[in-house]
Amino acid sequence: MSTNTNDKTDQATGLLLMAAAGFFGYQTTGLEIGTMFRMGPGYFPMILSGLLFLLGVLIFLKSFGRTSEPFGTIAWRGMALILPAPIIFGLTVRGLGFVPALFIATLIAAQASVKMRPLPSLILAVVVTILSTLIFSYGLGLPFRLFGPWVQF
Amino acid sequence: MDLLSNLAMGFGVASTPANLAFCLIGVLLGTLIGVLPGIGATATIAMLLPITFQLEPVSSLIMLAGIYYGAQYGGSTTAILINMPGESSSAVTAIDGYQMARKGRAGIALATAAIGSFFAGTVATLLVAIFAPPLTTIALKFGAAEYFSLMVLGLIMAVALAHGSVLKALAMMVLGLLLGMVGTDIYTGTPRFTLGITAYADGLNFVALAVGLFGIAEILRNLETEHTREVMVKSIQRLMPNRQEFREMAAPIMRGTVVGSVLGILPGGGAILASFASYTMEKKLSRTPEEFGHGAIAGVAGPESANNAGAQTSFIPLLTLGIPANPVMALMIGAMIIQGIVPGPNVVVDQPMLFWGIIASMWIGNLMLIVLNLPLVGLWVKLLSVPYYVLFPIIMAMCAIGVYSVDNNTFDLYAVAFFGLLGYVLSKLRCEPAPLLLGFVLGPLLEENLRRAMILSRGDATTFLTRPISAGLLLAALAVLVLVFLPQIRSRRDEVFTESDG
Amino acid sequence: MTPFLNRLLLGTAMVAGLAGAAAAQFPERAVTLVIPFAAGGSTDVVGRIVADKMSTHLGEQVIVQNVGGAGGSLGATQVAQAEADGYTILMGTVATHALNPLILTQKPYDPVADFAPVSLLVLVPNVLAVNPELGVDTVQELIDLAGTEPLAYASSGNGTPLHLSGELFKSMAGIDLTHIPYQGSGPALTDVLGNQVPIIFDNLPSASGHITSGSLKALGVTTAERAPSFPDVPTIAETLPGYETYSWNALFAPAGTPPEVIAALNEAALAAMADPEVIARMEEFSATIVASSAEELGTHVTAEMAKWEPVVTDAQVRMD
Repeated sequence: MSTNTNDKTDQATGLLLMAAAGFFGYQTTGLEIGTMFRMGPGYFPMILSGLLFLLGVLIFLKSFGRTSEPFGTIAWRGMALILPAPIIFGLTVRGLGFVPALFIATLIAAQASVKMRPLPSLILAVVVTILSTLIFSYGLGLPFRLFGPWVQF
Repeated sequence: MDLLSNLAMGFGVASTPANLAFCLIGVLLGTLIGVLPGIGATATIAMLLPITFQLEPVSSLIMLAGIYYGAQYGGSTTAILINMPGESSSAVTAIDGYQMARKGRAGIALATAAIGSFFAGTVATLLVAIFAPPLTTIALKFGAAEYFSLMVLGLIMAVALAHGSVLKALAMMVLGLLLGMVGTDIYTGTPRFTLGITAYADGLNFVALAVGLFGIAEILRNLETEHTREVMVKSIQRLMPNRQEFREMAAPIMRGTVVGSVLGILPGGGAILASFASYTMEKKLSRTPEEFGHGAIAGVAGPESANNAGAQTSFIPLLTLGIPANPVMALMIGAMIIQGIVPGPNVVVDQPMLFWGIIASMWIGNLMLIVLNLPLVGLWVKLLSVPYYVLFPIIMAMCAIGVYSVDNNTFDLYAVAFFGLLGYVLSKLRCEPAPLLLGFVLGPLLEENLRRAMILSRGDATTFLTRPISAGLLLAALAVLVLVFLPQIRSRRDEVFTESDG
Repeated sequence: MTPFLNRLLLGTAMVAGLAGAAAAQFPERAVTLVIPFAAGGSTDVVGRIVADKMSTHLGEQVIVQNVGGAGGSLGATQVAQAEADGYTILMGTVATHALNPLILTQKPYDPVADFAPVSLLVLVPNVLAVNPELGVDTVQELIDLAGTEPLAYASSGNGTPLHLSGELFKSMAGIDLTHIPYQGSGPALTDVLGNQVPIIFDNLPSASGHITSGSLKALGVTTAERAPSFPDVPTIAETLPGYETYSWNALFAPAGTPPEVIAALNEAALAAMADPEVIARMEEFSATIVASSAEELGTHVTAEMAKWEPVVTDAQVRMD
């Protein structure tokens, strides 16, 4: 593992930072820079983007001639199921309402573990939904619509 | 003596059965919402404001204050147990607290946090009582130039937080600053980096960023190895610290209290900096700085004390000037106005019962919190014995609700997913999220004060050096920078061929 | 809901002769009052006090929901797009219904076409105040001083009524002042109290404590007449005739809301504003109760937009 002559992690970091700096830098081009006296909205972000790019370059260059540590396993399954959970909750909470949206989101998130079987995950989602509704909607009085227009007639 | 009779009057007000009950309700509710990931004190206080209509002004403010510092206590619990900070201050607690939990020392970490918070709360309450008016004048000496220099100092300290590469920590901080720029420019109203999404016009939501970067990234990290090993260490040792550990936490708690009390007075960002400052200080003073980031007890004790002390002293500008130091304080002002109290310098004179009653109730509330929380430590730790594959879907559900409850903004939920991914990628690249988080929080303040200072000095950049407080702060920042880079340079010489672990 | 569908439903109801009965039943469930600013601000305070009393009168809870952001535009847009059934209403302000539509280059809603006015509730005076160390006692002295040295004034933010009150003052007095925007009144006040910035335009309610205690010197209120809570403070108009600005709060429903529902809401709002407790609170708050009819509010919005348009154009205030 340590036969690499350059540090892949740092290379990737450097490139990522340069890309981020590029994104912010590009977005800054449309903004007014202004003067020292009256700095425009683009002044400070422009300095920061430049700085970030510079740091990215430095990290990238320093990676050469160093040993690399492995990335390790990557949680593909986790990413595929955990990250969509809040998105799906966001997409459905207005339309379906709080209860169905939360149930679906929890059910999806629960599938991220290889240890979770279908039936227990269903039970878990039901329990979480009921308890959350009790705590947040009734207990704390959050103004959520429990069932939205998509499931009401 | 005036102070004593005033305090006696305050305790008289605060210890009526009704007020004790409201204080208890407040701290209980605060602890509950603090423990639930994602949902914060701001949202809860906003929701409870209408309830306080019906109460006496003193009772309602006592209850709201209880929610506020109760949430601080509860927030540390979540930060320690599942690496999910609900407020920027507990992001620091998460660094070493979570590592302690992974090593089976969750109980000790929680107890340390509770004890530190109680001590700090007690001292800071006393400070509020004695020094409220004179301390206010210090806060008023801070203009834009001073704030800018203070933020610079804070950011430099955040770099020292990192236990890996300083370059990467700097880069994370700058990335955080840039993310903080997302939203509407307050000087011109120009939207920046919003990709045309109006829901981001007021910037990215802090809770979404913190939950994603810390909490969700951690869940993903835990899932990657779940078939090969258990995620959480099951063998939990003692719950309470032993004598040795008490000795280790004593000095950090004292120092944290001082740092937090001082910084808490400054409106806007002061209290945020307190826990970061305390962590940096402890790391520098420690004889075993390498332990930091791997479960150092001082890394929990110091910042937790600083955070709680800051939370108490941030009441000073509220009570003496009627000026909010943070969003929660802004809500308290709203509560006062609803009750027909005009916040401002007259509150002490016109409403002594209210003023001293609130101060006394702060101490009572802190006492209640430690009495409640120490026995609860055992219960919280038991949570860790819940199988992880059951625990994390619950955490996900709580996060989704919590983030959504802040502003009822669905785009905040999409941001959670994005920052969860970013946090995971960054952890794979061995970049630490804490400097990014601080950069994000301070970014807008840094820019706002820089631009304001430049307008006020009519474009003269020397204003930062000619104003004594500002110059002092910048000098301190320089000193910290030297301290951070020195060991790096030295170790580089020692390990010419071996890379120091990134 | 589309206007077409609305009309269709309304038509069906009328054919069935149910219109009166349906309106009599309003409200059947809780009404949501959207406050387009963060909790704790002056609009929020007015909104919560009114919502509380309206609940009693309507017999159903009026739930306050803070949808802050983009200077009030996010909350206003949400109500503009809500179903026109009266269950979602807006606490509109001078910002959402006069200034933002003039300032924003992209207009997310139309303040006239997208809303059905319910009632203009209160007028809130603004105040021009200075740090006592500036050494001026009257508006005229301030104008004279500004002619000799560069001065700056603080406001609660870019494009807010306070900012534009300052800009109107500058143009009417023929002087130049550097505008320094803050994120809300609190931080702006702090810097003026600490004499980092000498002058402020603020809402009278939030500055009143400091004026009474003497830590700020009020030079003039922005309304045409002196504020009842501060009879000794002159109006700016006494020095600059014709100068008049104020903040206001008014209830709006989405356009297309049935007139019976508007009437029910208006009635509840007027009842709330006549409540002795509300009257007392508003007095402490230095706000003047108007409690207008729906038509009066409609006229008011048009008048306000006409008044502010030249100020916004002159000051080149703009938000994208």
